Amino acid sequence: MATLFWLQTGACGGDSLAILSAETPSLEQLLTDHGVELLWHPSLSHQPMSQHDAIYQRIVSGEQTLDILCVEGSIVTAPRGTGLYDSYRGRAKMEMVRELAQQAGVVVAMGTCAAFGGVHAAAPNPSDCIGLQFDRDRPGGLLPPEWRSRRGLPVVNVAGCPAHPHTMTQTLAGLAAGWPLPLDGLNRPQAFFNTIVHQGCTRNEYHEYDIEELEPGGRACLFFNLGCQGPMTQAVCNSDLWNGVSSKTRAGVPCFGCTSPTFPREADLFSTPKIGDIPVRLPLGVERARYMAYKNLARAAAPARVRDKEMDV
Amino acid sequence: MARVELNLSLNRVEGDLEIAVVLEDGVVAEARTVGTLYRGFEQIMLGRAPRDSLVITPRVCGICGTAHLYSAVLALEQIWQVPVPPNAVRIRNLCLIAEGIQNDLRQTFLFFAPDFCNPRYRDQAWFAELTERFEPFRGSIYRQTLAQSRKAVEVVAQFGGQWPHSSYMLPGGVTIPPDLRRILACRAVLDDIQHWYEQVIVGAPLDEWLALDSADAYFEWLETPAHADSALGLLSRCARSLGLHGMAAGTRHMLSFGAWCDPQQASGRLLPGGFYDGDSATLSPFDQQLVNEHVRHSWFRPYPGGRHPLNGETVPDFQPNSDRYTWAKAPRYGDKAVQTGPLAELLIGGDALIRSLHAAEGGNAWLRQFARVRRIAYELAGARRMLEELAADIGQPHILNPAKSAEIDGEGFGLIMAARGALGHWLKIEDGVIAQYQIVTPTAWNASPRDSNGLPGHWEQSLVGVAVQDPDDPIEIGHIIRSHDPCLVCTVHMLDSGKKLRFAP
Ligand code: SF4
Repeated sequence: MATLFWLQTGACGGDSLAILSAETPSLEQLLTDHGVELLWHPSLSHQPMSQHDAIYQRIVSGEQTLDILCVEGSIVTAPRGTGLYDSYRGRAKMEMVRELAQQAGVVVAMGTCAAFGGVHAAAPNPSDCIGLQFDRDRPGGLLPPEWRSRRGLPVVNVAGCPAHPHTMTQTLAGLAAGWPLPLDGLNRPQAFFNTIVHQGCTRNEYHEYDIEELEPGGRACLFFNLGCQGPMTQAVCNSDLWNGVSSKTRAGVPCFGCTSPTFPREADLFSTPKIGDIPVRLPLGVERARYMAYKNLARAAAPARVRDKEMDV
Repeated sequence: MARVELNLSLNRVEGDLEIAVVLEDGVVAEARTVGTLYRGFEQIMLGRAPRDSLVITPRVCGICGTAHLYSAVLALEQIWQVPVPPNAVRIRNLCLIAEGIQNDLRQTFLFFAPDFCNPRYRDQAWFAELTERFEPFRGSIYRQTLAQSRKAVEVVAQFGGQWPHSSYMLPGGVTIPPDLRRILACRAVLDDIQHWYEQVIVGAPLDEWLALDSADAYFEWLETPAHADSALGLLSRCARSLGLHGMAAGTRHMLSFGAWCDPQQASGRLLPGGFYDGDSATLSPFDQQLVNEHVRHSWFRPYPGGRHPLNGETVPDFQPNSDRYTWAKAPRYGDKAVQTGPLAELLIGGDALIRSLHAAEGGNAWLRQFARVRRIAYELAGARRMLEELAADIGQPHILNPAKSAEIDGEGFGLIMAARGALGHWLKIEDGVIAQYQIVTPTAWNASPRDSNGLPGHWEQSLVGVAVQDPDDPIEIGHIIRSHDPCLVCTVHMLDSGKKLRFAP
């Protein structure tokens, strides 16, 4: 059995709620079939808080093995580095995370807040939020870049706001089984971050032929004018659908790039910044010089059903 | 007299809740609710494009993001005077309802009911039956609730792409139309939930249950096996055997903004709102001018009296060892502390059974929880109506984007009933960007600290007089606080002006 302790810091609870939507495996299955023993979860455990405190003490003193520590939420460090803007019984949560992390087999940052600081760390970052081992896109948050858990891993960043339900449960199932978990450059489990949101988006054919929406509510692509970050964002949203049915871009909502360390970006989130006619950020790997030539050709080649936006998405 | 001061923390609530109580001979004489987290959302909004509120503010709360999105979009539409096509209103309502069903199920069966599995109740006649159904991760109803609640949010995902945290309501409508596939997929999900609700949760067909209109009729019903053995029947029997129907009234004043916008008439509500004055037992229309917020006992730079949200000031001033004790502000309606939530929503909205039970026994912990389960019936019926209207009107527009020239400066507000009660966003736009953003959440009303006049908030009032048997496991306090469906994450406040300026040169 792999023991798991879940701690919420500066959070909205969204990851805890999202994980309840997982189905393969579900949270229940993690506990019954995947060898996870839930020591504590703030929203789900029904024992009195005195038991929470006792478990915490036993972990910190080394009496209780902690295999997986999940942290949900930004690390609040205000005021003046004390962390007291987010406290539990007078103690900064930040300190509790630090103590538990030293004992943990592996530390998992559940969601972009815990990974990189997230929405609470957006400018002007009023409560001085950071991530567990990143501060936005800079290595080193609460824990220094060279820090490793008992199992020799950096903090595993299950990014997303909220994290995708299966990215959470499948990461936990893999860790509980003791399987290797290759990470990408941002310490996110590669298996879930080596695809981009753009792949699998039902609007992709519109994108190919450069049929772009000017206003929200239509069927075509949201990249050129409406701020969609799908082509630059690594996540499974369009290959493993949310709640089993859809994704933001399928529903006509631009991808805001919530698995990225710079989410939410410093700009009008529903618009695409451009220099002249070319978006400042191009799809991953696309060369600027080729972009317009290719787009002009593509638009000219668009079949009527696409040009006239007849295809349902 | 034995006087004990206790500091309690509470799990199975959203966010971080600590409660300080003074016990006199084992009875709560005084209570203070403490919000222990400060994040700063309203500050983050400053200087951003107005539509960014549709991305940022849903992330205030992971359980009711749809409601925040709805309030935010209504506020923008008010400022820009944007008309909304009926189908967009229907889709918004449908999604809000689905989120409500999710919340009401999870709150009742994952958060509230497990308290009755406490070993202290081992000798109660209902204990074995209750544990078999409500024990976390093992109980039958607990597991079914996990499955049904995750189906419910598929409805939001159909139109919003995902739940939680999407931004599919935009000024003028929603991002996708109601095609037949989506309508029928939602219908299938909701039909399943309805069958389960009828068979397992209340033990009666929806119509029959909704037609039940008096306290006497309900108590009679509670004696019949069909209802007594249902999940709600069992919960009622347990809660009432422990006296929760005579406990924890809190403030008698109630507030509802009215549930679900009327697709035909944007300002109207399908279930009417208003203010219920508990002293005179009268209803009056809600007047947003009367909302103000006090900070006398909160960790913010003091100002005298209360301030309307549009003039609000929220400069953090952390004073842990003073008579200020929380990051929550104290919202007041006029000078009154009010409660909000499903009980207020149904009482003010006119549900005959809730009115009759309230008249018979007053507001109490059991009735609050009971109202939450009863509301699911309204939600199911409302969702069905929205789907049918959408299907009948399927070709109508789902969004009318405002012209660029309509996106003017100004001030406005958006008011909605979230799962936990009255939610309001107030904002100002200046020079095309957000200059002030203030959110008053349902839990802010309920979890309010004392105000400038020393008047305690609703929870604080509701705890007074409650007998606590075991201070190490104060389960009575758990029953009572959880019956209010607490959500601390969205209550605790954020600064909207202060030392850090976003776009400072
Ligand atoms: S909407 Fe976004 S994710 Fe979809 S095709 Fe266009 S750019 Fe790609």
